[in-house]
Amino acid sequence: MAVAARGCGGVWRRAWQRGAGGPSPAPRGQRAVACNARGGAVPAGKSGLAPWEPVVGLEIHAQISSNSKLFSGSQVQFAAPPNSLVSFFDASLPGTLPVLNRRCVEAAVMTGLALNCSINKKSLFDRKHYFYADLPAGYQITQQRVPIAVNGSLSYSLCIDNKMSQMVTKTVRIKQIQLEQDSGKSLHDDTRSQTLVDLNRAGVGLMEVVMEPDMCCGEEAAAAVRELQLILQTLGSSQAVMAEGQLRVDANVSVHHPGEPYGVRTEVKNINSIRFLAKAVDYEIQRQIEELESGGTILNETRAFDSKLGCTVPMRDKEGKQDYRFMPEPNLPPLILYDAKSLPANMNHQQVVNIDLIHERLPDLPSVKRAKLVERYGILPEHSFTLLNEDGLTEFFENVVKQTQMKPKKVIGWILNDLLSYLKQHSLTVKESPVSSFLLADLLNLLEKKEISSTAAKQVLAELWKGEGKTPLEIVKEKKLELIQDQKELEQICQAVIDGQENEVMAIKAGNLKVLNKLIGLVQRETRGRSNPVVVKQLLEKKLSQ
Amino acid sequence: MLRASLREVSAALKEGHVTPTELCQRCLSLIKSTKFLNAYITVAEETALKQAEESEKRYRRGQPLGVLDGIPIAVKDNFNTAGIETTCASNMLKGYISPYNATAVQKLLDQGAVLLGKTNLDEFAMGSGSTDGVFGPVRNPWSYSRQYKEKFVPKSHSQDEKSNWVITGGSSGGSAAAVSSFTCFAALGSDTGGSTRNPAAHCGVVGLKPTYGLISRHGLIPLVNSMDVPGILTRCVDDAAVVLGSLAGHDPKDSTTIQDDFKPFELPNVADVSKLSIGIPKEYHAPGLSSEILALWSKAADLFKNAGAKVIEVSLPHTCYSIVCYHVLCTAEVASNMARFDGLEYGHRSDMNKSTESMYAATRREGFNDVVRGRILSGNYFLLKQNYENYFIKAQKVRRLIANDFVKVFRSGVDILLTPTTLCDAVPYMEFIKEDNRTRSAQDDILTQAANMAGLPAINVPTALSERGLPIGLQFIGRSFQEKQLLTVAKWFEKQVKFPMIQLEEVKRHDHDAFQHQKSASFS
Amino acid sequence: MRALRLGRWLQAGGLPVPPARAVLTAPGTSPAPVPPRPAWQHGEPRPTPQQKVTVEVLDHLEHLALVDFRDAEGVERLQKAIQFADQLRDVNTDGVEPMDSVLEDRCLYLRDDDVTEGNCTNELLKNAREKVEEYFVAPPGNIPLPKLEERETFLQSS
Repeated sequence: MAVAARGCGGVWRRAWQRGAGGPSPAPRGQRAVACNARGGAVPAGKSGLAPWEPVVGLEIHAQISSNSKLFSGSQVQFAAPPNSLVSFFDASLPGTLPVLNRRCVEAAVMTGLALNCSINKKSLFDRKHYFYADLPAGYQITQQRVPIAVNGSLSYSLCIDNKMSQMVTKTVRIKQIQLEQDSGKSLHDDTRSQTLVDLNRAGVGLMEVVMEPDMCCGEEAAAAVRELQLILQTLGSSQAVMAEGQLRVDANVSVHHPGEPYGVRTEVKNINSIRFLAKAVDYEIQRQIEELESGGTILNETRAFDSKLGCTVPMRDKEGKQDYRFMPEPNLPPLILYDAKSLPANMNHQQVVNIDLIHERLPDLPSVKRAKLVERYGILPEHSFTLLNEDGLTEFFENVVKQTQMKPKKVIGWILNDLLSYLKQHSLTVKESPVSSFLLADLLNLLEKKEISSTAAKQVLAELWKGEGKTPLEIVKEKKLELIQDQKELEQICQAVIDGQENEVMAIKAGNLKVLNKLIGLVQRETRGRSNPVVVKQLLEKKLSQ
Repeated sequence: MLRASLREVSAALKEGHVTPTELCQRCLSLIKSTKFLNAYITVAEETALKQAEESEKRYRRGQPLGVLDGIPIAVKDNFNTAGIETTCASNMLKGYISPYNATAVQKLLDQGAVLLGKTNLDEFAMGSGSTDGVFGPVRNPWSYSRQYKEKFVPKSHSQDEKSNWVITGGSSGGSAAAVSSFTCFAALGSDTGGSTRNPAAHCGVVGLKPTYGLISRHGLIPLVNSMDVPGILTRCVDDAAVVLGSLAGHDPKDSTTIQDDFKPFELPNVADVSKLSIGIPKEYHAPGLSSEILALWSKAADLFKNAGAKVIEVSLPHTCYSIVCYHVLCTAEVASNMARFDGLEYGHRSDMNKSTESMYAATRREGFNDVVRGRILSGNYFLLKQNYENYFIKAQKVRRLIANDFVKVFRSGVDILLTPTTLCDAVPYMEFIKEDNRTRSAQDDILTQAANMAGLPAINVPTALSERGLPIGLQFIGRSFQEKQLLTVAKWFEKQVKFPMIQLEEVKRHDHDAFQHQKSASFS
Repeated sequence: MRALRLGRWLQAGGLPVPPARAVLTAPGTSPAPVPPRPAWQHGEPRPTPQQKVTVEVLDHLEHLALVDFRDAEGVERLQKAIQFADQLRDVNTDGVEPMDSVLEDRCLYLRDDDVTEGNCTNELLKNAREKVEEYFVAPPGNIPLPKLEERETFLQSS
């Protein structure tokens, strides 16, 4: 999860191979599906059949990070006793009216600006009608006619091969961002044949971000969503944690032959993680291709992703077509936003949302942050992705760099390879790390000063990981890991090894220098890793040449 | 005492001539003896007496909260009242006890008013007779007045006085009847197409429809959100000004209230109308306008002219479309507003259990009457994707034309418009129910509906009695947020016409006091 | 039943709107300017509309509104409502913007992001006829309603 999305660099493959040799169809959904990194279809492969161009668009609902809900003053909180965060308005008690939360407006404006959108200075609210147990009013208040922001773009990066050495930037157009209400939650109790309804989430503010169908596979969709997630978290407009339902993604998928009109699209819902997003999209693309190639048709339907089976299944079809009967929300006059030029003279400042002011106060976006990291520390772009992808890791890294003389280029290795893998193994976040940046810096300093070898350093790190409160130096002393500084002692050990390895010595003298490594290894073992291999090599060479 | 105006009785309370508890008890007693009017759905006897007690304590301390302290009032049963049933005269909300007070109600209570009970209406305020609620129709108190009985000529043997009672008009009929029969000194109604002014005219009381956005709708169960306003029913214009003063102003809970400051005002006792320009919109001579009302309207125009005002004919050409326009916009909003009634969180819930959808459908079938269900279906039809442009958007455009008519007239220098309020006086119930609700509403709202389209303030002032001895009222329509000017003119007019007080036996028996009101030369 | 009809003098396509005319009368001289005759008349009944309400539309509406017709009277009522609304066609609205609300020139009030409501589970549940612990409870999922033809028997049995 920590690394940037792996690349799309291959050909669209069939679910099974045709042609010579018995076909053994790969299990559905598990064959890696890929598309050209440039986003287009790839010329026909070996089997000679016409290529397919998949088209993927996304509708993303991000829960706004605010204290209270979009139109009411009840609290926004993830876990709480059922129906305890519900106001009269949320429960649709007759006579209650919506009142717009200023913070939600600001969040949407921030997000719109970060995604290069035009902010509509006047936007409107509408009612979208349908009946559902978790929608008490029988309609949702949304922005269908004139949303708060339109026509933006999001840039994201992918690795174009598996080696993670080359990244390419892609862009997806943002059609619009609209403010709308979240619904409550229905818990289906099949045993007692009833549905339990909890309205805690009903009325929480959402930003719906609509991404145009500019993507072509699961990886792209995943990368785009990941970047959006980072942006939202950087802005603070949404915590965007998918596991807590703060970020929900629906994918619109269709396929067509290049040059032909777009195919019928399906909507895929019930995707609970970015990883599943990629899988769901790829599965659906594959399913559609197979369906069409075997002469079938694609229905314009909604499908749910089943994460256990790794496939999409049709959702229970509602009888008849849906008509949301959109109507203007009569209880909300138009939402007016201002900028420096249009700022009214005598207005209560609490009633004014100034787009320019919000723009000025935008924090550095992830792309900017990454570029700065690369420039400042000389690390690779891929590294910067990983740093930003992990909550708190950048800060950790920078703290270590501050406290050590070791070059950042070297520090990054320890962060990404050692620290991060430990964290992953133990399912910990950076904040929960038993090894603080201070401790790690301490350790790296010992290494840098050549007081210990890198092998020893890794051992120390393993000890530090236990979180017993010992400093690196204490551990080094305890385990006697310090490099032997005494030249004489080293020489003696080297000599002892040389004396004990006649055959190897002869081989070396004969010209097979690779065997020297074995001797170095033996010295290391003898010294229990406390010898500097560079020094040992020098000593051995010196002795052997005598 | 009960026949006094709000301000008069307030003065009496202040001077200690009567206590809040006495006043409250008298009203409650009168409510009981006028039960046949069916004006009240719920009488909140206990809480009212408690409120009266609290008020009394304040008066004794010499610290009344204001003019409304201790004044018995009634509230239409589509306003939320905490702890007191709110039914909207519908099976859907029978037994519903709201956990909160509507802002308008809260404001009155904060001023010390005593809430006697909730008044009857057409189900969910849909109707113009106050006859289509589940608690039965409201009877116009004038049906039992000496004035009406004297003039009553039975058309056949089967007809007798008792069965020929007339309607109150609607949908705020209960509130109008309550004020008219002296059981309270002021009542809250609602006005979407004339629902406050229409019953005010038929019941001979003052009915004020304020400008849209002046009084909070928070807690008023909506019919048409973009046109509803809380309405004020009182016995005289001064009283309406007092109540308005305590209700108007920005409510952060209602985003459709304006944020401008509102200053309560007192009306001058003497007004100079010679500086005014009174407009007579010719389209308000609508087909079916009774000759009686036409004559009164004419006389009223003369009155202003003789006082030196400029009285001119004006035109509001789209008046004739307001009913059709209202029909589409109202049903569409109703379709939307009623979507929340599904039995899940509150209200009636069907026993049907097979699925959520079937439970919802059964609940709504059982809970709503035909009128409501009919409007929900029509409204949904107009909102369908294929119909939206041709019906809903079209109606919205016509709405703008109607509103612009008023803008043009007011911009041309006219200050106030003078029109009839209803086409005729109150009809007998037996006659009224012969036509269906939509037709009736269409006919009866024609003179009042356009003011709701345009959001303008309007007021019914009782003017004279008809040949049948029933009240006729005339309507004044003013500029947005110019209630002071509107009420000033209305008060002046009220003074000129000296509308007679209703003579009800029941009230006479209750009223021992020597509070007499002038009943001499009436206007007709 | 008397349906409200439009004036005979209104033609399809609509007439231009006549300007407001001022008829000034000097005080005390001529009669007041209240028009002696109705300014307009109810028009002829409209021909039956082109689109009759079909069974499909009815069914569609019932599903969307979750309110049923019960009988032919309801259907007729809808038909008449549509017929009534069709009179709007006679009004010329070229170049006219739809009006959402009379407050369209005002701007929306914004609330501070404070927690001021909620925490009233008991109050809310009090009004619910059915509940399970602290949850509202609904019958299982959205099983679609039967089609219109099947509906009669369905309703009779419910």
